[in-house]
Amino acid sequence: MQELRDILGPTLFYYAFSPAIKIAVVVFVGVLPLISYLVLAERKILGFIQVRTGPNRVGPWGLFQPIADIMKLLVKEDVIPNKAVKWAFVLAPCLVVGPAFVIFAVIPFGPSAAQTGGGLDYFITDVNIGVLFVVALATIGVYGIIIGGWSSNSKFSLLGGLRSAAQMISYEVPQGFSLVIPLLMAGTMSLQGIVGAQLEQGRWFLFAFFPFGLIAFMIYLIAGVAESNRNPFDLPEAESELVAGFHTEYTGMRFALFFLGEYANMIVISAVAVTLFLGGWARPFPNVEALSFLDASFLPAGLVGVLWFSLKLSVFLFVYIWFRGTFPRYRFDQLMDLGWKWLIPLSLVTLFAVGLWKVLLL
Amino acid sequence: MLLDLFAGLGITGKHLLKNLFSTKVTVQYPEERREPAHRFRGMFRLDEDRCIKCTLCARDCPIDIIYIDWHQELNPETEKKEKVLDRFDIDVQRCMFCGLCEEACPTEPKSIWLTTKTYELASYDRWQNLYVDIDELQEWKVRPDYTDDEIV
Amino acid sequence: MEWADFTAGRTGDLHGRAIREMTNTTNTRRDTLFDVEEMELNFGPQHPSTHGVLRLKLKVDGERIVDCYPIIGYLHRGTEKLFELHPFFQNVPHTDRLDYVAAATNNLAYVGAVEKLIGLVVPPRARYIRTILCELQRISSHLLWLATHAIDIGAMTPFFYCFREREIILDLFEEYCGARLTLNCMRPGGQPFDLPVGWGERCAEFLDDFPSKIDEYEGLLTNNRIWKKRTVGVGVLPADLAQEYGVTGPMLRASGVQWDIRKAMPYEAYGDVEFDIPVTYNGDTYDRYLVRMEEMRQSVRIVEQCLDKLPDGLIMAKSPRVLKAPKQSDAYFSIEGPKGEIGFYLVGDGTPNPHRCRVRAPSFMNLQVVPILAKDQLLADMVAVLGTTDIVLGEVDR
Repeated sequence: MQELRDILGPTLFYYAFSPAIKIAVVVFVGVLPLISYLVLAERKILGFIQVRTGPNRVGPWGLFQPIADIMKLLVKEDVIPNKAVKWAFVLAPCLVVGPAFVIFAVIPFGPSAAQTGGGLDYFITDVNIGVLFVVALATIGVYGIIIGGWSSNSKFSLLGGLRSAAQMISYEVPQGFSLVIPLLMAGTMSLQGIVGAQLEQGRWFLFAFFPFGLIAFMIYLIAGVAESNRNPFDLPEAESELVAGFHTEYTGMRFALFFLGEYANMIVISAVAVTLFLGGWARPFPNVEALSFLDASFLPAGLVGVLWFSLKLSVFLFVYIWFRGTFPRYRFDQLMDLGWKWLIPLSLVTLFAVGLWKVLLL
Repeated sequence: MLLDLFAGLGITGKHLLKNLFSTKVTVQYPEERREPAHRFRGMFRLDEDRCIKCTLCARDCPIDIIYIDWHQELNPETEKKEKVLDRFDIDVQRCMFCGLCEEACPTEPKSIWLTTKTYELASYDRWQNLYVDIDELQEWKVRPDYTDDEIV
Repeated sequence: MEWADFTAGRTGDLHGRAIREMTNTTNTRRDTLFDVEEMELNFGPQHPSTHGVLRLKLKVDGERIVDCYPIIGYLHRGTEKLFELHPFFQNVPHTDRLDYVAAATNNLAYVGAVEKLIGLVVPPRARYIRTILCELQRISSHLLWLATHAIDIGAMTPFFYCFREREIILDLFEEYCGARLTLNCMRPGGQPFDLPVGWGERCAEFLDDFPSKIDEYEGLLTNNRIWKKRTVGVGVLPADLAQEYGVTGPMLRASGVQWDIRKAMPYEAYGDVEFDIPVTYNGDTYDRYLVRMEEMRQSVRIVEQCLDKLPDGLIMAKSPRVLKAPKQSDAYFSIEGPKGEIGFYLVGDGTPNPHRCRVRAPSFMNLQVVPILAKDQLLADMVAVLGTTDIVLGEVDR
């Protein structure tokens, strides 16, 4: 680091390691390949669940399938319907993808330079209102879907857009409440700080304030699945009902952007859950000395953190795919029912209980 | 509590684990090809020597896609009049492979049969490849000889 | 065409009246602060869950369906007219294409009508073989129904599990008659083929294995709370309404009417075997699902008994090569198909061709109640209702 700074000079060094550049690097080197291979993994896992092989034509075990898909989507004709509202039609996919990628700026993939004693920061930036930033940006994504559904000028798209508006706004509330609970436990809003608090307290927040941590985690999991429009809450794009929902009229790369947005959201929500409830980049049971071999001290400490983080993340993503392979789809009114009558009251009660616990007992 | 949901997850999870390593039910088509059953009704084949030109197959065809013309001529060796086929065409692109022509054939063994186990009929040309005449009906080597189920 | 045109032209018939009554129901939303406009939604003919080329003209108020009007005829091929142009035996392949996922039962209904018209007596072995084929066909048709119904409601995986088992049934068909879908496996007077060597063992093997597979589908769906939420109380069909509209098959039995032609008027070998008719009483989508699942189990029982009892002997009655119906004769023969009562009415005029043929298609009758079931439900229930009626458009449009 220090040598690099000497070579580049302070100004150039600052710009080379500014958050914007880091986001670009993380997105293009880390997230985009991750998403394309997540799609492949999803298709493979679904295939195995459904006693078939999944993609296996392009490359060994279908490993080049994502590349072929991207090539196909890039060279496809881009159709904008005649009666679509053009500017909104073009804007909508960007509104879905952009915020989802920007959220990666605050996700702590690994420990900071201070924690490992020098070297790289394994995150882009550490904002002291990190959780708020995540919630705020995640909210923007819904506009893309609503605008996309409306501007296509198709009835199925419109219905999909309306569904998603209601769904995402309803589920943001319990999601927000359940995010407050780890904040109460940690006493900070910085995501890096929350991981640090879990390390300090020696337990994942999933098990803290038992059973309230667990309840909060379940609420976040359900709301997160609903937020990313995945089964069993994939009503905005319910194939058998609305053809393809809000992206019925989208083709080629614009459709791919919606697709990217959905998977990026999936990753973001999983990453936030891992950070807030599952100890982030820390190894399991960080306070148990007997398990210290899990730290894999022959590797750089930061890299081990990233490894643990990705492992936890992939468990989450697998659960998403598993849900998709198992469950039927909720109906619109039942979805609202679940959100407003169960999740919101439950999250409020949990929040209250944790607050009371914290005030009275600690 | 949520047990019903976990039961479903268990079933799919079990299949996932089982299918990670075992062979799947999918047949990887161009590499592996299923051997059709003995009675499988596929592409036609005709044996002109066995055919007695009775045109029963053409008459029994529900959609009239078999076209047969014949004339009589004197066989110089046996000094007998014999029927000679002028034309035996099948418009396969309309064929629904019901097998009634094969059932109608009175010769033993059958002179026209569908049990050739040939089912790869895709072609680039709509008319020429699927409108088969007498030479194509006999000469295409991909189509095996008549197999009677009882013999097999 | 405007909405009014559809209802204006049909003043006489019962169906038109039902539609009109639905349209005239007072819309309570009119009195609200804002002017509420209903949207017309064209559901099909190209839509993932209309099971073919059915077109539904929906009037929706947001997600709520105010009115539903099915438009059929996109798959009309004039099958009934075609029957008049061909001799009796040439028509069997055409019946394959009516309900194209259950060809064997169509064949049986047709050849049964021809046998009744002409007075052919089918040998016992052929009757047993027919029963076996029809019950296997019932299983395969119900499997296809379950697969598509589940995928309509959003559960993707049962689709593949069902197709895995259906494939084995199709393989059995292929071994028996050489075709997998359009079987053409029966002739007036008997069966064209005997069972191949070893077919019975392979069939029994499948039947031993199959009930555990049904448990698997049920494990994914029956107790699943989402599945229950989507199906319980959705599209309730009262028994009297079902009988009024001539609904038959699992749809009728789920409404609590114990009517099954296999028991009521046993044909082929059904008089000799033991089986139960599953009946439920709520008449909703979930009950229809339960009835069909149980029917598959009963079909397994029937086939097992038939394989045990399979008599020896001829498979074809002695009959002239060209069948001729007596002059001024007519016959109606109906069987319990997978979707309901499928029947053929044939009129003979002394020639080898039928003078007139009329198909009583169960899907067509069952489709008539869809507007009633779908009314005031949500859009998502529309696909559940459509899936549960188990329509095949080849049969509806003929």
